[in-house]
Amino acid sequence: MSLAHTLLMTVAWPLAVAALVAGTLAWRHGRALVEQRSSGRYVVPPGVAGDWLSRWRVALWVSAPLPALAVALALPEASLTLDWWLLGGEWRLDGTRRALLGFTALLWALAGGYAHGYLGGKARRARHGDPDAERDLQAFVLLWPLTLAGNLMLILAEDIASFYTGFAIMTFAAYGLVVNAGSREAYRGGRAYLIMAILGEGMILAGLLWAAASAETLTLTGLREGLAVAPQANAMATLLWLGFGVKAGVIGLHVWLPLAHPVAPTPASAVLSGAMIKAGLLGWWQTLPLGLTALAGLGRVVMVAGLVAAFAAALYGVTQRHPKAVLAYSSVSQMGMMTTLVGLALLAPSLWPMLAPALVLFAVHHGLNKGALFLGVGITEHPPRLPGWLLWLLLALPALSLAGALASGLIAKWVLKAGLYDAGWSWLVTLLTWAALGTSLLMARTLWCQAHAWQEARRHGAAPAPLSMTLAWALCALLAAVPWWLTLPEASAGAVQATVLPPWGELPGLLWPVMLGAVVTAALVVACHLEPRLHARMSRAERLPPGDLWPLYVRLASSLSDPLRRGVARLSNAEETAQDLAAGCGRHAIAWLTALQRWEAWLRRWAVPLMVVLGGGLWLALMR
Amino acid sequence: MNDNPGLLLAALATSLLVAPLIFLLPERAWLARTTLNLGAALLKLGLVALMVAGVARGDSYALGFTVVEGVSFQLRADPLGIMFAGLSSLLWLFTTLYAIGYLEGSPNRKRFFGFFSLCVASTLGIALAGNLFTFLLFYELLTLSTYPLVVHRGTPKALAAGATYLRYTVSGGVLLLIAVVALHVLAGEVNFGQREVLAELGPEHHAWLIGIFVLLMLGLGVKAALVPLHGWLPQAMVAPAPVSALLHAVAVVKAGAFGIVRVVYDVYGIALSYELGLLAGLAIAASFTILYGSLRALAQVDIKRRLAFSTVSQVSYIMLGISLFGPMGTIAGLAHLLHQGLMKVTLFFCAGNYAEELGIHRIDELDGVGRRMPGTSLAFTLGALGMIGIPPLVGFLSKWYLGMGAIQAGMPWVIAVLVASSLLNAAYFLPILYRLWFKPGPLEGCGAWPEERRLGRLETSAWLLWPVLATAAFSLLAGVFAGLPFSPLSWASLIATQEYLP
Repeated sequence: MSLAHTLLMTVAWPLAVAALVAGTLAWRHGRALVEQRSSGRYVVPPGVAGDWLSRWRVALWVSAPLPALAVALALPEASLTLDWWLLGGEWRLDGTRRALLGFTALLWALAGGYAHGYLGGKARRARHGDPDAERDLQAFVLLWPLTLAGNLMLILAEDIASFYTGFAIMTFAAYGLVVNAGSREAYRGGRAYLIMAILGEGMILAGLLWAAASAETLTLTGLREGLAVAPQANAMATLLWLGFGVKAGVIGLHVWLPLAHPVAPTPASAVLSGAMIKAGLLGWWQTLPLGLTALAGLGRVVMVAGLVAAFAAALYGVTQRHPKAVLAYSSVSQMGMMTTLVGLALLAPSLWPMLAPALVLFAVHHGLNKGALFLGVGITEHPPRLPGWLLWLLLALPALSLAGALASGLIAKWVLKAGLYDAGWSWLVTLLTWAALGTSLLMARTLWCQAHAWQEARRHGAAPAPLSMTLAWALCALLAAVPWWLTLPEASAGAVQATVLPPWGELPGLLWPVMLGAVVTAALVVACHLEPRLHARMSRAERLPPGDLWPLYVRLASSLSDPLRRGVARLSNAEETAQDLAAGCGRHAIAWLTALQRWEAWLRRWAVPLMVVLGGGLWLALMR
Repeated sequence: MNDNPGLLLAALATSLLVAPLIFLLPERAWLARTTLNLGAALLKLGLVALMVAGVARGDSYALGFTVVEGVSFQLRADPLGIMFAGLSSLLWLFTTLYAIGYLEGSPNRKRFFGFFSLCVASTLGIALAGNLFTFLLFYELLTLSTYPLVVHRGTPKALAAGATYLRYTVSGGVLLLIAVVALHVLAGEVNFGQREVLAELGPEHHAWLIGIFVLLMLGLGVKAALVPLHGWLPQAMVAPAPVSALLHAVAVVKAGAFGIVRVVYDVYGIALSYELGLLAGLAIAASFTILYGSLRALAQVDIKRRLAFSTVSQVSYIMLGISLFGPMGTIAGLAHLLHQGLMKVTLFFCAGNYAEELGIHRIDELDGVGRRMPGTSLAFTLGALGMIGIPPLVGFLSKWYLGMGAIQAGMPWVIAVLVASSLLNAAYFLPILYRLWFKPGPLEGCGAWPEERRLGRLETSAWLLWPVLATAAFSLLAGVFAGLPFSPLSWASLIATQEYLP
């Protein structure tokens, strides 16, 4: 058991927690079955609801991401080879992975703590015999660590099989989290999520198989290097880009995000939008030949798609009424910016050494802040007993940071801006800055919606959020704002300049989008108050449904699937006809044989007369 | 060349001799029959395990005698054969356990278990056959011994299915017989592995060789359910669940697929098949079958019928793997022979459990079953996800090697077939999983089970539950620990290396 084996622990521990939950459930189920045998009718036993009271059981459950966090913070660079695993496992911890692992584990840990409070009400209902609540709770408690294990595995994986395994486990287990509420909307969001995810998995599988087989490799590094020299690199990279793009919310493939995020339980939305969405980015990072070769055509497409997402999602997002939908569109917009940078790296590989640390910084910054924002939505629905200024300060902190006005956001922006200016991409900087204006508006809109929810909650006297919820959220908001991850061991290697705060002279250039956003928002609020017609027009815009293109896709798919269904029905008819025909032929043959038998019986009966006649005839013929 | 014939004979005899003994026992001697069945299954598994270890060490097991001049009966344990033998003995044990629980209290159990043993004995014979003549003997024995199992229930529907089954398989058998005789005339006796015999025939014989190959494929393709010869398989699903499981996972369908493997690798040789352009044809037929089976499965409402069409599709993965020239394709085909067996047997067991415990036959009756029968449903979930190709289940490994093989053989379009088939698999399996776990069912007060029986202390009878869990665990563990020696994948790789590096 070497030090590297602790890498195995990071994934094994959440899996063990999931197995423990499953085992407990199975045991109780079995015992209840045996006990209820006499009564005849079977009822679902009270499974995990009771455990939600026991502190140490919940602590065990929340501890699932802690080994990963410890590994990210303390373990030196390590790699682990697992001969027995799948096609031969190879896991690694290096600079990029450490940053992603650290923030992912942290977000999961905080969201897990938050979930404890969030699900308290459900656990109470389940204890009082509500089977629906019990079912939701069981699914959540079981699938949460499983999804986490997948997420951690895909970050650590260096071999393709582990990476794809982690990705698949995360994707499929997260479906159960998305639909956990069990409502109609939840299932609609879940369906959008699953269908898009499966299409994505298909493209990923195709891309991975094609590229890995051409390069004859089992590792992601080998895949990237092989892709850089492969003749059909453009086609393979397109498949991979689109496949991972589903998870990363590339425009056109993003439709599941605004449908699935609002319906999922809040802690699940936080990890979906904060951590899991980054799996798409990591997928690009690990499989596309970034910094190795230029794929100009694809690079341009990727860049344009990213920019379109950054602007369009912001425009559409501000019309949304549900804060989580606004945040989901904000995720699409932010991921659009990251997509733009990936496209830039495909277009100009020489920029990659500058882009890579900036991208990591951006991803970690967005992940934690988005997580904090999502967790905040639950807080405004159940306002804790905090002074109003503190509550709103903590709610506004991640919003300001994401808009780029504060700590981690400011640094991420500055690193990027400085690097791009130096490389002569000033027009891109301008565009990204304008996109940041969109982010500011989205953040303002989120806070606006939350304020509404807050007022509503206070009017109806909603129960205050439990302590664990408030604590996890406050901690997340604070940790997200402070760029502590810059102090991680190897993270500094590429991002030395990142630790440098932007000079004072640059601040106005970095802060104007936020200022402008604030001014525009304030102006709109004032104008709406003064001019009711404007207010009415704005309200009409608010009717735009989340999931913009999804209904269109559904109609398209059904118009395509109807002919397919008819075709399949025709096929089966044809098959049956053919079989009937064959059976008919068989019957005919049998009938013919039966007829032959009758003929033979007739022959037997008349054999002697026939012989006589025949003999007589022959004799006559010969005598002639 | 009689080296180590004892073990070979003993393994074959365990199930072959058990059959008459079971026929001799009276119908109500449950304990004796069960002991006999399980004892034989365990004994055979042990013997085959011994042979597996021996073959891995490099020992050879063979037995042969001349029947008439120029035609001999040959039994031989080579890595390929022993792989199939291992699969059949492992699954026989589980299927026997399952069948004991499944048929509890139903009539004609003596007949069932007798023919069941005969069926498994013929499968073992097929696995260990050393030439086409021996193969043909056991192949036909399998056809005949399966018929009573298919029609076991004796209902008009079962009888009709049995008639269809016989019509297809006997016609296939005739074609196979003609092909074997023609090959005999052309090249004399060809033992499996003597690939040079056909390879040395001059180009003037190539037209004949191609013709015979097509005939062989038609004959074997009936059992392997290659479209359009698959018609009997979906109908035969009226048989009891253990029979369906055996039919789809090891016995009949696999016998056809295994025969095709033997013909391609050990009679023609992969090099000759490739030269004659036979592999491309096989690849196209297999791809067509894969897509056709998946499409048809989509429209089925009966659980077992959907599984049957899924078999049509999945078994062709084996043929597809074989038709990809190169070691990766070989590994894919051979590993899938085992992988598909593990996953499909699990799925059919589950379907049987649903039918037995709750009277569920149709997919729309499965709402909320996950909470009533979590063990079975977990096994079904694992099997279905494996079929879709989700890692770390075994189905993913098959798909991975198929993809590698496709590129190695210069046929990248196969990847498109694979992905399309995965998507279709997801389209017909995931709705079932959705119903199992996410839809409210009778436990939540929506509707009622069609016909609930409380068969055991747990969610269903232990005889039915444990085999399901065991095979599901195998299909998970064979994927997770694929890198260990004696895993299906490692064994398939071993065979592939022998095939390509003589």
